[in-house]
Amino acid sequence: MTDAKASRASTLFDLSGRVAIVTGGAGLLGYYHGAILAAAGANVVLLDLEVANPQTRAKQLTDESGSQCIGIACDITLESSLENAKAQILERFGRIDILINNAANNPKVEDGNSAWSRLENFPLDVWDADIRVGLTGAFLCSRVFGAEMARRKSGVIVNVASDLAVIAPDQRLYRIEGLPENQQPVKPVTYSVVKTALLGLTRYLATYWCDAHVRVNAISPGGIFNGQPEVFLNRLKELIPMARMANRDEYQGAILFLCSDASSYMTGSNLVIDGGRSCL
Amino acid sequence: MPLSSLELKSSELFSVAGKTVVLTGASGFLGRTFVRTLLSNGARVIALGRSERLQREADGWSQEFGPDSIAIHRVDMYDIPALSRTLDEIAAQEKSIDVLVNNAHELGAGTGFNVPEGSLDSATMDTWMRNLTGGVYWAALTTQKIGVRMKQQQSGSIINISTMYALVAPRPQLYAGTDFINPPGYSASKAALLSFTRYVASFWGLHGIRANAILPGPFSNIEDAGGSNAVQQDSPFLERLKGFTCLGRIGSPRELAGALLFLASDASSFMTGQAIVIDGGWTAV
Repeated sequence: MTDAKASRASTLFDLSGRVAIVTGGAGLLGYYHGAILAAAGANVVLLDLEVANPQTRAKQLTDESGSQCIGIACDITLESSLENAKAQILERFGRIDILINNAANNPKVEDGNSAWSRLENFPLDVWDADIRVGLTGAFLCSRVFGAEMARRKSGVIVNVASDLAVIAPDQRLYRIEGLPENQQPVKPVTYSVVKTALLGLTRYLATYWCDAHVRVNAISPGGIFNGQPEVFLNRLKELIPMARMANRDEYQGAILFLCSDASSYMTGSNLVIDGGRSCL
Repeated sequence: MPLSSLELKSSELFSVAGKTVVLTGASGFLGRTFVRTLLSNGARVIALGRSERLQREADGWSQEFGPDSIAIHRVDMYDIPALSRTLDEIAAQEKSIDVLVNNAHELGAGTGFNVPEGSLDSATMDTWMRNLTGGVYWAALTTQKIGVRMKQQQSGSIINISTMYALVAPRPQLYAGTDFINPPGYSASKAALLSFTRYVASFWGLHGIRANAILPGPFSNIEDAGGSNAVQQDSPFLERLKGFTCLGRIGSPRELAGALLFLASDASSFMTGQAIVIDGGWTAV
């Protein structure tokens, strides 16, 4: 039995009246995640560090979408900062329905300006900082905001992992001709470790909060075209069946699918969207 | 790239309006839900099916969504020459084919479901071959025949309906003390379908064709009263099934509609070679 109206796209993917939090919400991808949720009718809360101007970005989002969106300056590695944000969100909107754990450190290595990223040289304080933001931050946000969802027995958490959560980086992509081996830039070890760990967190939370009706899934996106050097793009194309990087708006469908009732029987899953890279 | 509110509206992003979809197994339990989902979102559906029920269903669809929105082809897909002719006919007739949904599978005694001779110990070569034919060769043939049209167009989305049993094995304790059997050929052929999905994604990605799979968990057809594979609402089997999901319940067919629209539309334009698992958390534990 299918109700034709209920399975219409406009109903199935509707988020009217729901409140969504996006961490790293002022950044490139985070803002796009927020934009599709706002376009589907959600009130979106962009969390980001003060320096990233979440309030300004939220105003931009409100103007573009017509949904009321707010930006909150917040350090997701500090539980007190998150509790403070939660209080503001509940005071303003009265509920929390959706959390997207999107924030992560992702230093650019495609430009290849140093050898600091190599395993042998990788600074311990960078390791600690990357894990704090990408993993501890996701854990704390899930605990603080997810507990509110569990209390109300309804909610969705989406963790933004990476194609590098299911495959290893191919370090040949980042090579620079003429540099000695010990100077060649690489994708940092923390990126693989943090993103893979998010898949574990996804499955853990999915079963942990099953009875509380909080669904938890992950998305594993491939790289986004953002003006990378041509030599890098040409090498990467060889590894991707679709022979291109993603456009920045090509993850919005997956985000909305996972955040809406369109995925109501889905929990503990990982959507890999990488132009086919990991199926080779 | 500026954001356009129109493009971002969920009804636009997930739109299948005006698309032509070829779908196999249209009169079956999930197939009917898929057809209705596509029709109610404005797609035109070319439906393949074997049973007499297909005509009755098509009459209803035609009334509700208009006669131009649905075309049916009754064909026994095990009759490979007949299936080939039907697919050739469709490929020749249609101006464009945007989506192919490989949904058909025989879930009955012929493939070893719920009969003693379907078991691991006893399954015959014929049972195995029917599973492999339905599970992977039908998709290979439709992909060849319809996919060639997609290659000419340089666009298309192929959606293969597999099962969570392509990833995990059925649990023996589910079946203990019942007459239910989930045959080994079903798991094996649906796992082969995943591998075939990746193969198509890899070789045809450059031609703008995407291939992905949906892996449903327990969607027991308690709503399909009288269906050959129907399960009674109060069946202890059903209670056991629920117990192995995280969500503690069986899925409703409409809970696959979102994934279908996602894969059929441009909302998934960078996704290929992948599997969407919709199993209430069954495979997460």
